Amino acid sequence: MDDGVATALVLTAALAAVTSLALLFIAPPLAWWLAHSRRAGVSFVEALVALPLVLPPTVLGFYLLLAMAGDGWLGGAWRALTGQPLAFTFSGLVIASVIYSLPFVSQPLTASFRNTPAELLDAAAVMGLAPTARFLRLMLPLHWRALLAAAVLGFAHTVGEFGIVLMIGGSIPGETRVLSILLFDQVESLDYERAHLTAGILLAVSLAALTCTYGVLRRR
Amino acid sequence: MSLRLKGAWQSVGGFRLQLDLELPSVGVTAVIGASGAGKSTLLRIIAGLERPAGFTLSFNGQRWDTLPAHRRPISMTLQQPALFPHLTVAGNLRAVPGAERIDEAAVRFGLQDLLRRKPPSLSGGQRQRAALARAYLRPALLWLLDEPLSALDPLARAELAPMLGRLCRSLNRPVIYVTHALAEVLQIADHLVVMEAGRVIGAGAPETVAAELDHPLSPLIDTGGILEAVFEAYDFESRLSTLRIGRQRLWVSGDLRDAPSPVRVQVLARDLSLALERPARTSILNILEVSLTGLAPAGDGALFAELDCAGQRLRARITRPSQANLGLKPGMALFALVKSTALGLRSA
Repeated sequence: MDDGVATALVLTAALAAVTSLALLFIAPPLAWWLAHSRRAGVSFVEALVALPLVLPPTVLGFYLLLAMAGDGWLGGAWRALTGQPLAFTFSGLVIASVIYSLPFVSQPLTASFRNTPAELLDAAAVMGLAPTARFLRLMLPLHWRALLAAAVLGFAHTVGEFGIVLMIGGSIPGETRVLSILLFDQVESLDYERAHLTAGILLAVSLAALTCTYGVLRRR
Repeated sequence: MSLRLKGAWQSVGGFRLQLDLELPSVGVTAVIGASGAGKSTLLRIIAGLERPAGFTLSFNGQRWDTLPAHRRPISMTLQQPALFPHLTVAGNLRAVPGAERIDEAAVRFGLQDLLRRKPPSLSGGQRQRAALARAYLRPALLWLLDEPLSALDPLARAELAPMLGRLCRSLNRPVIYVTHALAEVLQIADHLVVMEAGRVIGAGAPETVAAELDHPLSPLIDTGGILEAVFEAYDFESRLSTLRIGRQRLWVSGDLRDAPSPVRVQVLARDLSLALERPARTSILNILEVSLTGLAPAGDGALFAELDCAGQRLRARITRPSQANLGLKPGMALFALVKSTALGLRSA
């Protein structure tokens, strides 16, 4: 394995890990709210979260690029806060990946949360647990399978993203050149031998992640 | 000192619940009614699991309707045991905030050997015992039991019913026990509330409510009556308990040695027959001396004969031809006949 592939592999793994971790904090409360809130506007938020499933990644990437540019609202705020740019950096990729992979994590969670037997929710309430404690101490452990599956799915999906990375990250070795971008570069320069290796890694990781996900969900 | 609940609520499906209720805050209050009468909804409103607008609820002068369920000092078992399947029995018990004396609760509910098991591996009766223990561990001022035996098979029910009775009487906390089977609560209820179609149609002492309810063909109490009697003896061979009402004797099938005194015996109006003279040779063991206090139409063409039995009220369902044959008139002395097998402890 040459340095280019190794660097890209480490970068991809880091991006996927940080993204999954961030999503493990963001997605469960959001999914719980989507599953159980009766407020008006829930459907709109659910649609918003699901947008990356249907939009071309380039659309999302385009808007994110505008926001993360030095004079964009997100990029400007980031620069004011950290003194660093956001576009074409690892941090920018993380933010974009969180948004892009959110539906892949939140949707299985929402489905699982919606299936919580009503009597368990009632029991938790009459046991005297406040809503936050019910969620953290009973509901999250109860839905551990869905949490694990969602995290793996989020990881795998981040590994597999391409279009959005291309739009806001470019192809900077060690900073934004993840495996999928590397593969694109290799194919463009007709380096099929190396492309085989990169594509093989991506295929194996994705297949392993999905097998693991379905395996966890199947066992009851 | 009481629980007050007042309000009206119309569900989307058109079910209307209208309540103006004051329940004593001591002893066991049994709420009975057919399914769909609104008794579970009543309990869920008290627990705070339903919080319809327009209901006021207070307990011993303290407003509860403004509190969410987890802030109300109640303890509740639901129709389902509702144990968390990912936790062991011990884990379910420990999940109760402020739970103390878990070991004591385990002994009390016979869970010592089950603490490490997970709920899916337990029988229905074991699960319900664990659910009761979990409710028991919650520090609470009021206990709510929603059909605690209805999800169980007859065997588990027979096993759990006596434990539940002892528990209710030993809690020193008021209990509201919802059931569709009067027999389940007959021996333990201090106060009876009968619900039908979203309304309370009778409330008070069990003997009084059962006798006063003018509800033809109510499958719940059959408008018969409840006799209070003193246990005398149990015969192992015939499996009959002998009870005493004043100087009269009553044979009831089943072992009533453990029943609290006085023993309450439910007598269905349709099980009582009347005779002008004491039948000399009959298979019917129970022949009670009664006097006829009145006759009332039963709504389906039949009549209710209102009876006085040593100061207690009973009702017999009779047909109009029977009334004509016997020439029944208020004030007459009669004999009321009922088979001992009709008086047994009915399984709920």
